[in-house]
Amino acid sequence: MSWDSKSPKISKRRRSSTSKDVPTKAAKSASLKALIIDNGGYTIKAGYNRDEEPQIIPNCIMKAKSERKRLFIGKQIDECRDCSGLFFLLPCEKGYITRWEVQKPVWDQLFGKDVCPINDNPTIITQPLFNFKSIQDCMDEIFFEEYEVPSLFRCNPTDLAYLNYAKENRLSRNEACLIIDSGYSFTHIIPYIKGNKFIQAAKRLNVGGKLLTNHLKDIISYRQYNVMEETYVINQVKEDTCYVCEDVKAELREAAKPFSKNTIVKNYVLPDFNNIRRGYIQQANKTDEKEESCQILRLNNERFVVPEILFHPSDIGMKSMGIAEAAVKSIYSCPKIDRKALARNIIIVGGNCKFPGFKERLYAELRSLLPDLWDVKVFLPSDPITYAWKGGGALLKLHDFKSNLVTRQDYEELGSAIIQERFNNFMIDDSRLDDSSKPPKEQTNFKYLEKLKSRSIFGKQELCPSGSSNDPTNEENGAASNSKNEQGEDGIVDSNKEESNSVSDEASQDSFQAVEVDKGKKSKVTQEKQSEDDVDIDSDVSEEDLTKSLELFPFGTGSYL
Amino acid sequence: MTISKGTLRGSNRIKENDKRRIIDESQRKRRQRKVMEMLESDNYHDDPHADLVMSKKVPKFEDNLEQRSSRTKRKERSVDYYQFKYRKNFQQLVDEDRAESEAKQRPSYMDIQCGESQLPSRHFCAVCGFLGQYNCLSCGTRYCSIRCMETHMDTRCLKWAG
Ligand SMILES: [Zn+2]
Ligand SMILES: [Zn+2]
Repeated sequence: MSWDSKSPKISKRRRSSTSKDVPTKAAKSASLKALIIDNGGYTIKAGYNRDEEPQIIPNCIMKAKSERKRLFIGKQIDECRDCSGLFFLLPCEKGYITRWEVQKPVWDQLFGKDVCPINDNPTIITQPLFNFKSIQDCMDEIFFEEYEVPSLFRCNPTDLAYLNYAKENRLSRNEACLIIDSGYSFTHIIPYIKGNKFIQAAKRLNVGGKLLTNHLKDIISYRQYNVMEETYVINQVKEDTCYVCEDVKAELREAAKPFSKNTIVKNYVLPDFNNIRRGYIQQANKTDEKEESCQILRLNNERFVVPEILFHPSDIGMKSMGIAEAAVKSIYSCPKIDRKALARNIIIVGGNCKFPGFKERLYAELRSLLPDLWDVKVFLPSDPITYAWKGGGALLKLHDFKSNLVTRQDYEELGSAIIQERFNNFMIDDSRLDDSSKPPKEQTNFKYLEKLKSRSIFGKQELCPSGSSNDPTNEENGAASNSKNEQGEDGIVDSNKEESNSVSDEASQDSFQAVEVDKGKKSKVTQEKQSEDDVDIDSDVSEEDLTKSLELFPFGTGSYL
Repeated sequence: MTISKGTLRGSNRIKENDKRRIIDESQRKRRQRKVMEMLESDNYHDDPHADLVMSKKVPKFEDNLEQRSSRTKRKERSVDYYQFKYRKNFQQLVDEDRAESEAKQRPSYMDIQCGESQLPSRHFCAVCGFLGQYNCLSCGTRYCSIRCMETHMDTRCLKWAG
C-alpha cells in the first residue's frame, strides 16, 4: 500500500461519474460510499465518508439507579434523566474488546436503522495496534456473517490520522511523522516512515482518560465527598476543569495561596439531575439560587495534578515513562535519517489532547529533550477526537485502496487467517523489517533499549541462521559486503543505499569514539558540559548524550523540584 | 513547613517502630497493584440491577433492521453466542499474541509497552496533593506535614494491608 497524495487518475474518473444529486464536494472526496467506524474504548465515531462529521456514540451499556426497567445502550443515554450512580458495562479491557455481550448490542443499536444503518456498504473499522487474533476472528464473523457487509477493512486509528495529516499537508512520502494517540484506554506513539508504520519504534503508554477519571474520583472521594460511584459525573468534572500546566512547581505555589488570592481554585456545581443536568464551574461573585441546594465541589491542585500522570506516570507509582519521554525514545529508535522529520511532524489526537495546555506542555518537554537545532512542531487538530475518523476519507482515496478491501467472497474462500494478514500488514512495509529493524549503531550503548530482545525478534542471526541467502542485498554485493555487514551489524542499512550508509555509519562510529576518548580526559563537570554541547550541535545525538541531557534537564521547561 | 526532616525522623522513628506495623516490600507492591486495579476498573459499585436478570432482554439487531427485510436467511445470533465462542480473558490474549509474535518474528503487544522512566520521580502528598517530602514509616506513602501525616495514619495507612 502506498500513499499517493495526488492520485490524478481517480479524480478524473470520479468527476465523470458525478451525478447531479451528489454535491460536488462529496463527489471529490470519494467515488466509493463506505461506512467508517473508529471503534474507541470510550466512544465510537461512526458515519459515511461523505458525512461532514461522524456521530459520536458512547461505546458502552449503562444502567441507571433511577430506571430499573431498562438498559441504556450507546447513545440512548441521552434519554436517561438521572445519571447519578450510573453503572457501566464496557466492551473493552485495556482498549481491546473482550466483552462481546456488550460490544454486540452496542453495534446492533448503532448499525440499526435509527442511528447509522450499515445496510450493504463497504465498512472500514479501526482496531488497536496488535489487535488480538481471536478478537479479529469475532469481528470477521459478526461483520461478514451477521451484518453481511459486502467488503470490510480494518486498520489502526493512527493510520487514519496519519493519512488525514498527509493529505491535508500534501506531505511527501519521505516526510516521516509521529502520531501520538492519547485516548481513553491508552496512549500510542507510532512513527510513520515513508508512509508505513515503523513498529519497532512504536510505544504504548498504559495511561488514558479512564485512569485519569478514576484517579480524580479517588482523590475527590478521599478529600471531599465520596464520589466513587459517580464515574459519569466525575468524568465531566475532569473534562470541565482539568488542564495541563506549564510548570508544576509554580502551579503548586499558586494553588497553595489562600483561596481568596488563588487563581486556580474553582467551585464546581455538581448536577442534581433535577434542576441541573450537567455540572459546571461556578462563576465567582455570583450566587445562583438554584445552586444553594446543590453540592459544590472545590477543585484546586486536582485540576492540574491529575493530567500530570500523562507526563509522569510515576506520580501514581507506575513504573513507566511519560508521554514526552516515550516520544523522544520512539524518535531515537527510528533510523537516523528520519528523526528530524519526525520531530517536526508530531500529530496529537485523542480525547486527552483536549486538556487546555496539553499541546504547549508536550511541545515544551519535547523541545527541551530534543537537540536545539531540530525543528520541533506539534500539530493539534481542531477536533482531536474525530481527526482519525476523518482520515477514513483519505484512506478511500489511496490509489490502490479498493484492492485492499476484503470482500465477503475473500473471507469465505481464503479464511480469517489470510485476510487478517492483509489487515495487519496494512501500512507495514515488510522489506523495511529486514533492513531497518536492527537497532541503529548509536543504540549499542543505549541503556534503555533492550538490544538483545530486539535482536532475537528481528536480528539477522535468527532470520537466517546460516547467515546467507535470505537477504537479497547480501547476494547482490557478494563476498565483498560480508565484511561490511559484519561491521555494520547494528547500523541502519537501507537496502537501496547500503554502501553509502555503511560508510557514514563508520564515520559516525569514529567520531563517537573520539568524543568518548575526549570525555575521558575531562573533569565530570566539563564532561556534562560537553555532552550538553553535543546535544546542541550534533543532530545525531548518541544514546549516552540523550541520557545525559535527561539528567541535566530532568523536567524540561515544565520543571518541578 | 515548621518541622525539619531531621527532627521528624529522629524522634519518630523509634516511637513508630514500637507502635506501628511496618508493611514490607511485597505488601507495598500488592497495595500498589490494588490501586492500579482500582484505576483500571469500570465501576466501583456493584451492578444496581444485578437482581433483575436484565442482560437477556437486550433488543436484538433484527428489531432495528426493517430495511433489511429482503434478506430472510440472515444468520441471527444471540448475544451469548459470540461471548461463549470468543470468551478469552486479557491475559490469555496477551499470551497468545506473544506466541504468535515469536512464530512470525514480529514485535508483540508487550514489546511496545513503555519501559521505566529515566527521570527522577516526583513526590506528592497523598493527602493534600501538594509536594510531600516525607515517607510514612509504616507504608511508604508520601505526606507533607504533621497534619497530613495524622490524617493519613487515621485513614488509609493500614487500610489495605493484608
Ligand atoms: Zn499534605
Ligand atoms: Zn502509612
